[in-house]
Amino acid sequence: MRSALPPSFLALVAVLALVRPAPAAAQLPGIAVERRLAGELSLRVGDTLRLGAAPDSMRGVGVVAAIYEPRPDPAQITKQDRYVRMHLPDLARLLGAPDRVDRFGVALRPGIAPDSAAARLDRSAFGYQAYPSAAIASESSQTFLVVSRFHRAIAVITIVASAVFLLCVMLLKVEERRMDAAVMRFVGVRRRTIFGALLLEAAVIAVLGSAVGTALALAAGAATNAYYRRFFHTALTFSLITPGIVGFSVALSLALGLVAGAAAAWRLVRTRPMVLWGRG
Amino acid sequence: MTGAAWAVKRLARQPLRTGLSLAGIAVAAAMLLDMVMLSGGIDRSFSDLLLGRGYQMRLTPKGTLPFDTEATIRGASAIVAALRREPALEAAGAVLGTSLYARRGDSLITLFAYGLQPEAQSLYQLQAGRDLASGAGAGVLLSEPAARLLGAGIGDTLTLVGRLDPQVVTAAAGRRLVVRGMVRWLYDYRGQPSVGMVLSDLQRLSSSPAEDRASMIVVKARQDSAVPGLVTALRRRFPSVEVSSVADLVATFHERLVYFRQLSYILGSMSLIVTVLLIATLLTIAVGERLGEIATLRAIGVSRRTVVGQVLAEGTALTIVGGGLGIGLGLATARYLDAILTSFPGLPAAFSFFVPRAGALAFAALVLLLTGSLAGLYPAWLAARTPIAATLRAEAT
Repeated sequence: MRSALPPSFLALVAVLALVRPAPAAAQLPGIAVERRLAGELSLRVGDTLRLGAAPDSMRGVGVVAAIYEPRPDPAQITKQDRYVRMHLPDLARLLGAPDRVDRFGVALRPGIAPDSAAARLDRSAFGYQAYPSAAIASESSQTFLVVSRFHRAIAVITIVASAVFLLCVMLLKVEERRMDAAVMRFVGVRRRTIFGALLLEAAVIAVLGSAVGTALALAAGAATNAYYRRFFHTALTFSLITPGIVGFSVALSLALGLVAGAAAAWRLVRTRPMVLWGRG
Repeated sequence: MTGAAWAVKRLARQPLRTGLSLAGIAVAAAMLLDMVMLSGGIDRSFSDLLLGRGYQMRLTPKGTLPFDTEATIRGASAIVAALRREPALEAAGAVLGTSLYARRGDSLITLFAYGLQPEAQSLYQLQAGRDLASGAGAGVLLSEPAARLLGAGIGDTLTLVGRLDPQVVTAAAGRRLVVRGMVRWLYDYRGQPSVGMVLSDLQRLSSSPAEDRASMIVVKARQDSAVPGLVTALRRRFPSVEVSSVADLVATFHERLVYFRQLSYILGSMSLIVTVLLIATLLTIAVGERLGEIATLRAIGVSRRTVVGQVLAEGTALTIVGGGLGIGLGLATARYLDAILTSFPGLPAAFSFFVPRAGALAFAALVLLLTGSLAGLYPAWLAARTPIAATLRAEAT
C-alpha cells in the first residue's frame, strides 16, 4: 500500500551538468544514473555532476556511484524522461525541502486488508490519500486497457475480413471441382461420398492454411518484438502469440473452412451431373 | 456492349461469389480508409487543438512540454512583459495550472485550476455568463463538470483553498470568488473538474506570489510565416526556458504516438494485399472456368486486347463497388475505434484519432483502385495466352 501527498516536487530534477572527474568522490553524495542517460552523457562511475532543480539553480554536486538498467515499464517507453536515483536526504537538501516526500510505502501485517487499512489512514489525517497497491496498479494500467480494447476491435475487423476471404476462396475452390464431381456422378459415386470428399478437401486446405498462417504470425511476432525492442530501447514483449491464440485461430479457420466447404459442396452435389458437365 | 457492361454482366452471373468478393473488398477497403484516417489524423487533430486560439508558440520550463510536469517558470511576469514589447508578437500570456480545493461544508473537493491573464488567454471558450476581467479578485470560471461537482452556478460564491499542509491540517491560503461564467476548457479530458481565475489569484492560492510562477507562457505571432524565426530568436533571448512552436509540439506528440502511425501503415498495407489476393483469386478461377468462352471469342475475331480489357474491367468493377461499400463501413468503424482510443486517460476531450482529410482519402481511393485493377493483370494474362484451337478441341470433347 502507498500513501501519496498532493502534487509536489516529485517530478524531480533532471538537470545535470558534467563537471569533472571526482578527486574526492567519497565526500560527495552518490547518485545512480539510468543506463540510457549515462550513455547519452558519456557518464562513467566516478564522474562528478552538477545537479539542480532548474537550469538557473545548479547548486548541488554529486558523484556517479552506479549506472543501472531500469526495470522495463510500458508506461515509460514513449517518454523521453531520464532518471537518476539519490538518497532521500540528498535530494531533499538539493530541493531545499527537507522532510517532504511524494509518497511512502506501507507494509501491512499479515491478515490486514489493504482496503480497510487505507480507509483508516484516510480518516486519521488530512492532506494525503492512501491507496491499496492494487488500486494504483488498476489506475495506472488504464492506458493499456484502452490499447487492449483497440487491439480487440481491430482483431474483430481482421477476423471478419479473413472469414469473408476464406469463405470466398473455399467456395471457389469447391466450384473448381465441378467437372470432377460430374465425372464421379457419371461413374456412380454416391452424392454422400462426393460431399464427404469435398468437405475433407476443404478441411485439409483450412488446416494447411492455418499452419502456414501460424508460421507467418510467429515470424511477424518475432520481427515485431525485435523492431520495437530496438526502437524503444526496452526488453518488453510487444507481440505474444500464446497457444490459446493459436488454438482459437486454427479452430476458427477450420470451422469457417468447413462451413464454406460444406455450403459449396452441398450446392455441387444437388446440381445435376449434366449441368455440372456443362451440357445441361 | 462495352467492356464495363460486359464485366458487370459476368459478375452478376455468379451472385454468391460476387457478393462474397464484394464483402471481402468492402471490409478491406474500410480497414484501409480507417488506417489512412488514423495515420495523419493524430497530427492534424493535435495541431488544430493547439492552434484553436491562434497562439503558435509556447514557453515552458526547460526540458518540459506544456503541463507535462509540475515544473514552473519563475518570474513569469517579466518574461511576458518582455514578449509584449516585441513588435512581431501580437499577444503573450502566462498560464499556471495546479490542483486547488473548494470547501463545501466540512469537506474539500479537489479541482484543477488554471490561472491566466484574461487579455491573452488561449485555454477556453466562454459558453455562458461573463468573461474574466483583468485584476485580482475578478471571479472564477467553471467547466460543466466542475459546476456539477460543486453544485454551483453563475453568481454563486465559492471558497477556494490551496497550499494544504498535512502536518497542521490547514490550508495556508484561501479566497472567496464569485462564479462569473461557464466555459469549455480546450485541453481538459472528459469529466475534468476545472476552474479558471486571474493568474495573480491562483499564484496567491498555490505558492508564494513573490515567485511569480507560471506553468507556461503562450505567444501569438502577428504572422504565421514568422514563427520559425521567432522561435529561434526567443530561444536565444530566454535560454532558461523551453521555446516550442506548434510544429515542434506536434513532432514530439507524433513521436510519442508513433506506434499508432506504424500500426496504421501495416494494417493499411495488409488491407491492400487482401484486396489484391481476393480479386486475383476470383478472376483467375473465373478465367479458368471461361477458357472455352474466351477461346470462342478469340476464334470469331475478338482481339486479345478486348479480352484482356474485359478481365481488367471485372477487377475494376469489383474494386469500385467494394470500395464504395467500404467507405460507409469505414466511417462507421472509424467512429467506433475513435471512441475507444479517445478514452485514453488524460487525453483532451476535443482530440480525435480518426480525422478524414480530403487529400489523404482521395489518395487512398486512387491506390485502392489502382491495386484492385492491377490485381486482374495475372488472370488477364492467362486469358490472353489461351491457345484457341486446343481449348476449343478440349471443350468439344
